[in-house]
Amino acid sequence: MGAIYDKVLDMDHDLEDLEMQVVRYKPEGLDVLCRKSKFTRKELQIMYRGFKQECPTGIVNEETFKEIYAQFFPQGDSSAYAHYVFNTFDHDRNGSLSFEEFVMGLSVLSRGTLQERLQWAFNLYDINGDGFITKDEMTDIVSAIYEMMGRFSEPMIDENTAKEHVDRVFLKMDINRDGVITFDEFMETCRRDENITKGMAIFDTVL
Amino acid sequence: MASVAAWLPFARASAIGWVPVASNPLPPPMVRQEDRRGDEKVTINVSGRVFEVWRTTLEKYPDTLLGSNEKDFFYDEECKDYFFDRDPELFRHILNYYRTGKLHYPKHECLAAYDEELSFFGILPDLIGDCCYEDYRDRKRENQERLIDDKNSENGHLEPVANLRERMWRWFENPHIGTAALVFYYVTGFFIAVSVMANVIETIPCGVIPGTHENPACGERYELAFFCLDTACVMIFTAEYLLRLYAAPDRCKFMRSVMSVIDVVAILPYYIGLVMTENDDVSGAFVTLRVFRVFRIFKFSRHSQGLRILGYTLKSCASELGFLLFSLTMAIIIFATVMFYAERNVDDTKFISIPEAFWYTIVTMTTLGYGDMVPKTIPGKIVGGLCSLSGVLVIALPVPVIVSNFSRIYHQNQRADKRKAQKKARIARIRMAKNASGAAFISSKKRAEEAIRARESGLEVEDLKNQDTLEMQHHHLLSCLEKTTRRNTDSDQDELNDIQIRLPTINRSSRSNLNAVSGGATTPNSKSNNLTVTTAIVTLPTPSTTPETESLLAQTDQAPPPYPQTSTTQSHQSSQNPGDVVKISSL
Repeated sequence: MGAIYDKVLDMDHDLEDLEMQVVRYKPEGLDVLCRKSKFTRKELQIMYRGFKQECPTGIVNEETFKEIYAQFFPQGDSSAYAHYVFNTFDHDRNGSLSFEEFVMGLSVLSRGTLQERLQWAFNLYDINGDGFITKDEMTDIVSAIYEMMGRFSEPMIDENTAKEHVDRVFLKMDINRDGVITFDEFMETCRRDENITKGMAIFDTVL
Repeated sequence: MASVAAWLPFARASAIGWVPVASNPLPPPMVRQEDRRGDEKVTINVSGRVFEVWRTTLEKYPDTLLGSNEKDFFYDEECKDYFFDRDPELFRHILNYYRTGKLHYPKHECLAAYDEELSFFGILPDLIGDCCYEDYRDRKRENQERLIDDKNSENGHLEPVANLRERMWRWFENPHIGTAALVFYYVTGFFIAVSVMANVIETIPCGVIPGTHENPACGERYELAFFCLDTACVMIFTAEYLLRLYAAPDRCKFMRSVMSVIDVVAILPYYIGLVMTENDDVSGAFVTLRVFRVFRIFKFSRHSQGLRILGYTLKSCASELGFLLFSLTMAIIIFATVMFYAERNVDDTKFISIPEAFWYTIVTMTTLGYGDMVPKTIPGKIVGGLCSLSGVLVIALPVPVIVSNFSRIYHQNQRADKRKAQKKARIARIRMAKNASGAAFISSKKRAEEAIRARESGLEVEDLKNQDTLEMQHHHLLSCLEKTTRRNTDSDQDELNDIQIRLPTINRSSRSNLNAVSGGATTPNSKSNNLTVTTAIVTLPTPSTTPETESLLAQTDQAPPPYPQTSTTQSHQSSQNPGDVVKISSL
């Protein structure tokens, strides 16, 4: 009986905390953002309006981010990939994405140099941030991408698809065969592969 | 999807993460042709209140009026805005749907008005958000029930059928229509009461037969008299049943209905008794059959609405009643078993078996406590106490549900009756208004004719301005029709008013569902030509108005004049001064 009462009291505390916790986040001024990122004023205005419409409090937490992402990929489960993307955008790892982080991330991805974009992709794959991509980390990312496709794909996706895919890629990228991919190896491989360099430029026309 | 359109660039950008592991080269993106005017504001003027939105906000939902190019029809060149002549209060909610992606239903607004706005702007009501959807659905259901009620009660005033059978059926179902039906209703009621009372009285001991010490029941003493009474009642009931059977539109359905089963059960014992009086073995069973005569009392439910409501409530609470029964049974079995084992070793105990203990448990749980069986051991008494406490709880639980159901159905019925009474008063008032407008039409028609004659003969026509353009055109149209068909409107004022009220029997065109007959049907015209031109005033806001020229059309085979839809004109002209000549808007 005691446990139940404790739980009830905890819930009350939680409710109070929740009410205290309504945070409102205001981004830095338009001029500052304009200077720091590569967007024009107009573009920033449009982006902020859309951002604030979806997240009136001014910050995106991971749940909302996952929901938004899921709307673009309805046929599969995009929550894993969304999680990794969120972490890559969230530089200070505080669990929420502010407008500045949003803008800086987009600025890199759509207006950045090839080097910057490759750096971003490396950060995405390097889940624990130690500077090396292990086979497990890459398997996680690739499985997440496959999960987004969903079950009903042609041909069927099974557990081995991701593994084979990772084996192939790892073979290509791990030049010194030490089992991990460093940033230099990553850059080298991607620069040499024309498909990848061209692919990095595809998502330029963002706004 | 539309509300997260702003995040699509983000999703696309994050897709860069796929590039290094892509097995095949990714396709190039499509190049956009036109430049998005992302920053353009749109002004919408709704009955004077000005709303401004971004164009992209509106274009989020391209299959609605505001999101598609349908709104160009409402564009005002001079003010460079879109003008809608609708309710600005409701428009607020429509616009919020574009802004937030959620459609809300304001609780203080009328459901029908809101529905109309939604359909005007091309938004499906299914898009109402979860927060307001339940409310919306509840009110919609209420409204529909009310409309169905209205329609059902209106059906009582359907066109009279010449068929004897259908007329009889209508008498049986609605006794208030004619005196014959009422007489029949009361006679059957009287005989039901007589029969039931006879059943009761024939068991009372009548008094000592002189010369003996017996005190037999009245039924035995005056056996012949009671038999004759019973026969008479059964004759009446049989006749009634057969008449109903004959008049029923669907005999199989009628025979399966509850009331007819009760009728049959009420009269069957008598006939069975007639058949088997000689056979002694079966006469014991026959006596029990007489018990069924008491079912005649259920025939009263045709006469009493309250009884019907009660029956309907019980039917609709079947699941609660079932639950009550089930839980009671469970509790009875448990407690009876425990009591039996607690009390079985007492001397002279009454709890000799578990079924015996059932009786004790039932009496205790319903807090009756007859006292014919009482526990004597201490465990027995404890169990007995628990039994009575739990009985109160178990019985009290499903009762509020049943009560609330009964209350709801009862109030619905009250409302239906009240509406019927109000409708009668309303129809009377409308009839008066129609008379007035009919007279006004005749007089204005005369003026129009004079004006036309004056113009034809070259005279100066004065005060044409007093006449409304619409009216003039309408009268002109009618006179053209008259000229074409070489018939004349009967300008006798009284008859014309009469015609307005009573619908000619020829009006059986397919659009008759727009007209509800506001009275009986007669052949109104005393003239020899069988055409009855009736007035053309339609715009009164009840379903019982009649576009009378339809009767004309049935006869003349003309292409119908582009008559306005009476329903729409009714809805737009809800507050009319009955003395005015009402206008028909789309002529």
